[in-house]
Amino acid sequence: MLSLDNQTLERLNSGAPSALASRRRRALEEYRRLEMPTPKEENWKYVNLGFDLDEMGLPTAPGDRLPDDGFAASLSNRAGSAFMVDGRLLVVDNDSEARLGSADEAGGSGSGMDLLAADTDKFAAAALAFSVDDITLRIPRNRAVEAPFVIDVQSTCSNTVTFPSLTIRAEENSEATVVVLFRSPEGVPSVLVPNLQTTVGYGARLSVTTVGLMGSEGANVMHHRSKIGRDATLRIGEIGLGGRLSRMDLRTTLEGRGGSVEVVGLYYGEMQQVLDYRLVVNHVGPSTSSEVFLKGGVQDHAQSIFTGLLRIEEDAAGTSAFETNRNLVLSDGAKANSVPNLEILCNDVICGHGSSVGPLETEPLYYLMSRGISKARAERILVRGFFEEAIGRLPLDDLDEPARQAVNRRFALAQEGGRV
Amino acid sequence: MGVALKVQNLRASVGSVEILRGVDLEIPFGQMHALMGPNGSGKSTLCHVLSGHPDFTAEGKAWVDGEEILDLGADQRARLGLVQAFQSPVAVPGVELEEIMQEAAEERGIDPDEADRRIAEASRRFDMGPFLGRSVNDDLSGGEKKRSEIFQISVLSPKAALLDETDSGLDIDMVRTVAAAVEEMRRPDMGVLMITHHSRILSYVIPDRVHVMMGGKIVTSGGPDLAQELEQSGYEGLRKRLGITSAGADTTPKPAFDFFTDHPFSS
Ligand SMILES: Nc1ncnc2c1ncn2[C@@H]1O[C@H](COP(=O)(O)OP(=O)(O)O)[C@@H](O)[C@H]1O
Ligand SMILES: [Mg+2]
Repeated sequence: MLSLDNQTLERLNSGAPSALASRRRRALEEYRRLEMPTPKEENWKYVNLGFDLDEMGLPTAPGDRLPDDGFAASLSNRAGSAFMVDGRLLVVDNDSEARLGSADEAGGSGSGMDLLAADTDKFAAAALAFSVDDITLRIPRNRAVEAPFVIDVQSTCSNTVTFPSLTIRAEENSEATVVVLFRSPEGVPSVLVPNLQTTVGYGARLSVTTVGLMGSEGANVMHHRSKIGRDATLRIGEIGLGGRLSRMDLRTTLEGRGGSVEVVGLYYGEMQQVLDYRLVVNHVGPSTSSEVFLKGGVQDHAQSIFTGLLRIEEDAAGTSAFETNRNLVLSDGAKANSVPNLEILCNDVICGHGSSVGPLETEPLYYLMSRGISKARAERILVRGFFEEAIGRLPLDDLDEPARQAVNRRFALAQEGGRV
Repeated sequence: MGVALKVQNLRASVGSVEILRGVDLEIPFGQMHALMGPNGSGKSTLCHVLSGHPDFTAEGKAWVDGEEILDLGADQRARLGLVQAFQSPVAVPGVELEEIMQEAAEERGIDPDEADRRIAEASRRFDMGPFLGRSVNDDLSGGEKKRSEIFQISVLSPKAALLDETDSGLDIDMVRTVAAAVEEMRRPDMGVLMITHHSRILSYVIPDRVHVMMGGKIVTSGGPDLAQELEQSGYEGLRKRLGITSAGADTTPKPAFDFFTDHPFSS
């Protein structure tokens, strides 16, 4: 294991371009300056990390690639695949017109994208200092790739932390669909700190679906930074299932006129899981639009956190921004927090938000039972129905069925065990 | 001939508010009874208490085909053979109508092919094809909800059917379709309680008995003439004839009379 110190950093830096080397050094300074986040900080409220990055380290060598799970298997028709195992880019398979590989291989201008600031938090600083390999997907201008690209990010070594750097660039008027899987085996305590950056150029249409599938001892602390250009569309899908902690710190900026972003999907926590969503949608350009639509469920002692800030800047006239977060709390010991927020610095906007946290509703339950459907079955039907709207809005249909099954299975097992 | 539904001295309350104050009712198999009464008199509450709505505490007795039901869960009552067409059914987003009918059939041990056959037949009859794959009662008009409810009764074919204002809000053709369906329910293995405000449907399907509920009690029962009487003189006239003070069946304060909704045959 290589601890997160100067020695490891210089080892990574040997042979690296000087711009990268000095960026790493600056990030290391931030890393040293910053403390591990605590629940006292607003942006980390409710999150007890229970580990210290200083006590962890990079794996000395990557482990074996994990076999496909149900989600990976459902993505049989792919435009390309890349596997990042323990921070190393292991396999790339790509026959499409897009470029997929390390930043150098993928080429194009501005490949050293820097959307994530090192002083965001200690994880961001560590990610910028200790990222080993990166994956860049570049969709050249005017190209549309129909089948999805799959980036399979895995963490397989116990007690290690890895910092995958993932960059997706849809150039002018291009179109692509991307799925990013985050996985770790059951029983392996490890931490993944992905730095996902997406840019969507003039008129481009990109969808990126992240699927959280870490084992119950794994943690995923992701930053996702994205920039959306004029008349461009980004659809972000989320299926959050895994990890003892899974955090998505998403900050997306609508820069050009007429850009739009959608964040849609679901999360479902069981046992002791903490699922943590911190979203900021920043409307800078005029006539931009955003919609956040996330549905969540928690059972056992799981906890979810959703904070969503829609920020409309002075010049973003003609903007529309909507945000919905609905949560089912299915066990007494489970808890969901939902805090939608608006910050509007411009008059000419249409905004709205809705949020709810609660158990299954009694009237629909009674209704189904009045048809002769047993209580347990009626509850399963209602849980399934609750998530159906979110599943229906996922950017890629291939993931609908595994998402549906994962949620239904968790609830059904909890019912059998008398945990809900 | 057996009795589809029997109710004896049924009282029910929400919290400390008593709504049903001793209801007696007996519907033999093969009969259809109409239940009428002003708004707020407790007709829907009777249906919900019999169906097992968790909000109400009930006292008294009720039987479906001779089996006592008040200690059973709502689902057990339905499987035993008591199903209600709701006056205001709740929306169940994300759950398809066809799916709950299949699940309900499976719970009853009905063969899936037989369930599909019944669903197809009832769907043709009530023109429900476009709604089978849609969420239950979600974004449906008032009349469409009523159609969906009677469709479900038709699929589930219970021993005792409670139709709570199923004919309200329907267009004329659909009232006839519903009336024809109710007429067919008058069969040896079924009994029907039909709550209605309208004479129209009672001219298509003549009830065996008519009951009038006021203030949480059945204040009088009679033949089809009783519906005629109500059409002539309204509930106020009936109160006078029965010597009930304007307060209703007892000391309950009477809600303000609303001509359009309290008059039995205004629509
Ligand atoms: N859940 C409830 N909580 C409190 N009061 C109720 C509830 N349900 C019904 N009621 C009251 O009981 C009375 C009877 O209502 P209802 O049975 O719906 O009348 P009807 O169907 O005859 O118009 C009304 O005064 C109504 O407000
Ligand atoms: Mg009513």
